[in-house]
Amino acid sequence: MRPSAFDYHKASTLDQALALLAEFGDDGRPLAGGQSLVPMMNLRLARPRHLVDINALPLDAIEIRGDALHIGALVRHERYFTDPLIAEHFPAFLEAVHWIGHPTIRRHGTMGGSVSHADPTAELPSVCVLHDALIVAASASGERRIPATEFFLNAYVTALEPGEMVTAVEFPLPSGPTSGAFMELGERVGDFAIAGIGVVLGHDGNTITSARIVCSGARLVPVRSADVEAFLVGRTLADPGAQEAGRIFSAAIDPVGDHAASAAYRKGLIKELTRRCIAHAAGKASA
Amino acid sequence: MTMTETTLTVNGQTRTLDVEPRRLLADVIRQEFDIAGVHIGCAHGACGCCTVHIDGTPRLSCLTFAVQCDGRDIKTVESLGGFDATHVLQLAFKSEHGLQCGYCTPGFLMTLVPYVEENVARGTLPSDEDIREAMSGNICRCTGYHGIVAAVRKAIGDQIGGGQ
Repeated sequence: MRPSAFDYHKASTLDQALALLAEFGDDGRPLAGGQSLVPMMNLRLARPRHLVDINALPLDAIEIRGDALHIGALVRHERYFTDPLIAEHFPAFLEAVHWIGHPTIRRHGTMGGSVSHADPTAELPSVCVLHDALIVAASASGERRIPATEFFLNAYVTALEPGEMVTAVEFPLPSGPTSGAFMELGERVGDFAIAGIGVVLGHDGNTITSARIVCSGARLVPVRSADVEAFLVGRTLADPGAQEAGRIFSAAIDPVGDHAASAAYRKGLIKELTRRCIAHAAGKASA
Repeated sequence: MTMTETTLTVNGQTRTLDVEPRRLLADVIRQEFDIAGVHIGCAHGACGCCTVHIDGTPRLSCLTFAVQCDGRDIKTVESLGGFDATHVLQLAFKSEHGLQCGYCTPGFLMTLVPYVEENVARGTLPSDEDIREAMSGNICRCTGYHGIVAAVRKAIGDQIGGGQ
């Protein structure tokens, strides 16, 4: 037997799922696509005593609610490829999806699962931090919204409390024209990223009016850089200073070294990926 | 620990079993249905060897608990062309040297058969880059992948009449 023993509960309503998770506390975990949790269980890195299968719950909407794009926790990754709202408002997000796992994983893995798993190299946590998304967490005692920048606490550790589960993620809609890009490097397509960079540039004509940038895989949580963002604002799409921005971001990060790449290699990679990513985003906007 | 009554249909054979929730679909197919075409390589979603179809959609049976599949229709590589391996993609794997040791082959076939069918239905011959993306969740240690890409190209090309 690969995983340790657990009891299986199939929830048919959100209230039922939350009641079960409240009852089990630290011993319970929701099961959606299983693309992150089940590997952890097979390796016995996770040993929940109760799994609450939430696949039957109606949490799979992608729709605009107020001034944000609401993405339900059960939305499977492959849907982003063809969703017109993602393509229209979140080009960096759309590019990031190409880097998530491989087709079979993208067909089953979910938004809620990826953010709850909080792998330091994963794309969606990075995309959430990049876009200042809010993570919607529900429990039997109610619902709260946690800014993505406060949700990811450490590798595989989030702000979720026992009995809570992610029900949706809300991405604030951009207020004006934006461009964005996402790039990463791994040993093979679909592998864990050595590092990844995402960028969103708001612009008014040729002038960059707002900028956000994130790096995944270098630290234990996705990292933003206020210095790079401030550097980019006021520059032009034709000359965004991509190379200098790469230097600033690389200097600001103290990356981890591991079996895949040394810290020094990652530092160089962040510099170059940042340059390419900004140049690509700026190029798309001015095309 | 609770046993859970689960009804599975594998390659047309329906059985109701009392299964422990922790048992993986891959193990149940191999041990209870005695169907050995489901290969387990890594058991954590990295190699693709255990890919089966659940209600027609490829899924990793090592990342699926059998209890999740109650009432579902499951197909393994044996459902394609039987022991004679007569499915068009199996024949192309043979002629284009798409396999050597064969351990990964059931996973590649189950991942790629719907991809071949979709492209044939659309009448499109995908680029090699697109084929490689489609099979990026499967690992092969023997072929270097070139033969597999050629087999997919041939299986699609022959059916849409363009050849390669």
